[in-house]
Amino acid sequence: MNGSSIIGLPSVLSVGRTRRRRRIRPHQIAISIFLVMAALFFCVPIYVILVTSFKSMNEVRLGDIFALPQRWTFASWKYAWFAACSGMRCDGVSGGFFNSLFILLPSLVLSISLSMLTGYAMALWDVKWANGLLFVLFVCAVVPFQIIMYPLIKITGFFGIYGTTFGVAVVHAILALPILTLIFRNFFRSIPGELTAAAMIDSGSFWRIFFEIVLPMSGNILIVVLILQITSVWNDFIVGLTFGGHDAQPMTVILNNLALSDTGENNYSVDMAAALLTAAPPLIIYFVLGKFFVQGITAGALKG
Amino acid sequence: MVRWSKVAPQLALIPAVLVTLTAFAGAVGWTIYLSFTNTKRFPDYALVGWKQYFRLFNDELWIRSIQNMVILGLGSLASIVLGFILAALIDKEVRGEGIFRTVFLYPLAVSLIVTGIVWRWLFNPSVGVENFFHSIGWNWLHFNWLASPGTVMNGIILASVWQSTGFFMALMLAGLKGINPEIWKAAKLDGVSFWRVYLEIIIPMMKLTFLTCVILLSIGVVKAYDIVVAMTNGGPGGSSFVPAYFAVNAYWQKENLGYASAAATIMLVITALLFAPFLLFVLFRRRNAT
Repeated sequence: MNGSSIIGLPSVLSVGRTRRRRRIRPHQIAISIFLVMAALFFCVPIYVILVTSFKSMNEVRLGDIFALPQRWTFASWKYAWFAACSGMRCDGVSGGFFNSLFILLPSLVLSISLSMLTGYAMALWDVKWANGLLFVLFVCAVVPFQIIMYPLIKITGFFGIYGTTFGVAVVHAILALPILTLIFRNFFRSIPGELTAAAMIDSGSFWRIFFEIVLPMSGNILIVVLILQITSVWNDFIVGLTFGGHDAQPMTVILNNLALSDTGENNYSVDMAAALLTAAPPLIIYFVLGKFFVQGITAGALKG
Repeated sequence: MVRWSKVAPQLALIPAVLVTLTAFAGAVGWTIYLSFTNTKRFPDYALVGWKQYFRLFNDELWIRSIQNMVILGLGSLASIVLGFILAALIDKEVRGEGIFRTVFLYPLAVSLIVTGIVWRWLFNPSVGVENFFHSIGWNWLHFNWLASPGTVMNGIILASVWQSTGFFMALMLAGLKGINPEIWKAAKLDGVSFWRVYLEIIIPMMKLTFLTCVILLSIGVVKAYDIVVAMTNGGPGGSSFVPAYFAVNAYWQKENLGYASAAATIMLVITALLFAPFLLFVLFRRRNAT
């Protein structure tokens, strides 16, 4: 599945070697200590989010950030989901969750179908100017968002989709097009030529070859791209902020408003519960499909 | 039949061509044009030359933004170094390798907004980490980094490093997998020490991976936005502005489109300068390969 890498890196994270050394040497102990300390550094934030979200605000105020809750309570979770205020609205992050979902689904369909088709046409068919397009897409993949922000606001406004979840989804699909096309193209390039050559002589049908030969072979790459796209759309902030208007803001934007808006003293346990609710979908995907997840993230590297 | 097989793929490429021409090429051109106008809130297409750019480079806040970008870039190099060290350590046989891998990589799944909110809380002086250390008597330890202009960037760097180290570790692991295992055996037979193998053999062999990491990191740093919004919103007193934040702020808060466009154009130029060597390299290699 080398196709998952557009910058010539082999795919990541094969299963670890199983052979182990029996004798433990001093430098191995040092390595282990270092690794454990690094692991602690990476674990502290998630640990703190978890324990804080189960505390009451009175307990948070005691300031013992690392302590387990004396009394576990789901109150903050409930409040974060249903009632926390973000700006003027006080219906928690649940509204944002559904907005994110309604942004995610069309953006997945649009971006994956379009980029897969483009990658297929570029990789397996003899289009003279495909190399030119490849170069342009490569450049587009790194263009900073800010330089196309205003024109995209105007374009989505022109089509009447600015401020809707569908509008945000379309912008996501546009922004993802270059990188996803490059990923698909590289994958299709790795399909052995014999497989398609015969079919091309037989029928020569662009669509039949796509549906009968190419699509059935694309299971793995589809999973990788799907995970990459789910993660980046769900975790996106700026596109949702810019194109979501008042009613179509994704969960990350709601979360950020919520964490900023309670003036005076922040209700940290609610903030932490809301943060965890927002982070949950990609985290679940990561823990379930770790290997594909890492392939997707590294393949989409340029996007980052 | 033959002719149709020529036409169909070209037709299939039309949507992608339209998107690149309008949403990318056209949009970039539009913004660059606006950067040479006096546009405030509504477009004003009369050209005014380099005015916005002169203003920009006389604006302390913009200079600060550029400086912060460089600081963030240099500081974030720590995530490449740490990523390499962690990759090298788990690549060799270590007990519990799978657990370590999972732990180092999970921040990648966490959005920068969530990362920022959580770290902002850890930095909180009254109920965060500092308070904890003071409560156990370590009063010399100051962790209230986000409150002062001198340390705010360190706080943002720490949170970014937390989030992105796993990514560079993954790239490094991929690079390490490409190294012939015979090298370690040979080095062991010759009695070359562990450190020297890495410093003198492995790292030079992986210079391409390192280059990739540095370029990806720097392009990411130019785009840095979410983490700043979530942690500091540019504060205190504008001391953590970065170019992306500056451009968005100029558009939404100051409603000065020409000015925002000039800032965005400079961002594009910086990205181009960072990306050009990489692009040339890829094109060169592709040409040689075929």
